[in-house]
Amino acid sequence: MSRPPLSQHTIGPFFPRSFVRPDDNDLARIGAGAPPSTRGERITLRGRVTREAGAACVNALVEAWQADAAGRFRHPADPAHALADPDFLGWGRAATDADGAFEFRSLMPGGYAEGNHHRAPHINLTVMASGLMRPLVTCLFFPDHPAENAGDPVLALVPPAARARLLARPEGLADGSRCFRFDLRLRGGATEETPFFCE
Amino acid sequence: MQPPDRFDPWPEGIEPAVPIPGYANTFTHLPSQPLIRRPATRTEATGPFRLDRKLPCGDDNLAVPGPGRIALGQLIHIAGRVLDEDARPVPGAVVELWQANAAGRYFHPIDTRDAPLDANFIGSGRVLSDAEGRYGFFTIRPGAYPVPGPATWWRPPHVHFSVLGPASLSRLVTQMYFPGDPLNPLDRILMSVPDAAARERLVARLVPPAEVGLGWLGYAFDLVLRGRAATPAMP
Repeated sequence: MSRPPLSQHTIGPFFPRSFVRPDDNDLARIGAGAPPSTRGERITLRGRVTREAGAACVNALVEAWQADAAGRFRHPADPAHALADPDFLGWGRAATDADGAFEFRSLMPGGYAEGNHHRAPHINLTVMASGLMRPLVTCLFFPDHPAENAGDPVLALVPPAARARLLARPEGLADGSRCFRFDLRLRGGATEETPFFCE
Repeated sequence: MQPPDRFDPWPEGIEPAVPIPGYANTFTHLPSQPLIRRPATRTEATGPFRLDRKLPCGDDNLAVPGPGRIALGQLIHIAGRVLDEDARPVPGAVVELWQANAAGRYFHPIDTRDAPLDANFIGSGRVLSDAEGRYGFFTIRPGAYPVPGPATWWRPPHVHFSVLGPASLSRLVTQMYFPGDPLNPLDRILMSVPDAAARERLVARLVPPAEVGLGWLGYAFDLVLRGRAATPAMP
């Protein structure tokens, strides 16, 4: 039997604040109160979500998903899932503040082989907001790995002029570990918008 | 059960047509550039393990927040199953629900409309689907409310759902509507779904009261996520 998936709708402006708690934005913690995994380089990711004319997106929801520091997902779809870091969740969520700003903490993801390709280290981001009838999905890469980025099959699908917009920028240190910036421009024309994907 | 490993493009007519006239944010937030189509690979076909440890689940009664406290409004029970496109149950999915109170006001600092709050109704809860994919919430029927702006329209009574299933690609955010509400065919958000059958699937089914009992009006609503098995099991 086949069932068509339900239509997607916007999250609207009133996503409950109680659904986003402190540490929900820490991908390295498997649960509330759990210590962060230490099997990798601790990083902080900061960004802003903006819309037309660069205005802040308030009360948007950003969710992040990534592999562990060795490039493994703790999920049956990864052939190496049994070796994945059991103390690392790889998922987190953050709500944007009045300035459209969000922050995640995590470990630097690892790259991995898939089929004939090598995937460069990356973090998947999903943005939900009032006015977005479907989540917007993108993927950020790191400037540490120019050779891996050059061979990444997903980055290769992005128009060359827009690829730099999928690179996180180093922004000093936060709590003693490296900090990166990745801003999300939802609408701003061909030269400013963040590239978004669909499958 | 194996999680879904095949993610087809959205069938025609299910995805809302955007932007939506009268809904300003669909113009200012929507990218002007086309989405870049990519194949579904490991990073999209995976998702977090035991997410209920990160997002505590179990508050399934929004209508009775404490002993002797009962929310204002028509008491209802919404229940159904989380399924994939093969109609296989999805166990262990995190199901989040939020909604306005009986007066059509949200418990949220951004909602400043001149309608009363209900001290006994926060209007949000989160549960985990069971081994058969079942979920359920006790709540109240939300009120309708006007959408600010020059175009005069009201949101019909509706309930928001956010579902985190087995893969990033099975993430679902949607809204549930009530059968027969005269505001449904006037709602610009519901009507942005082009296919009439797809719109109908967003409308809950009233469960005959004889099956539910006297305490609550029952509504059935299945949450069908994207994804199926690449190799279907032999019959």
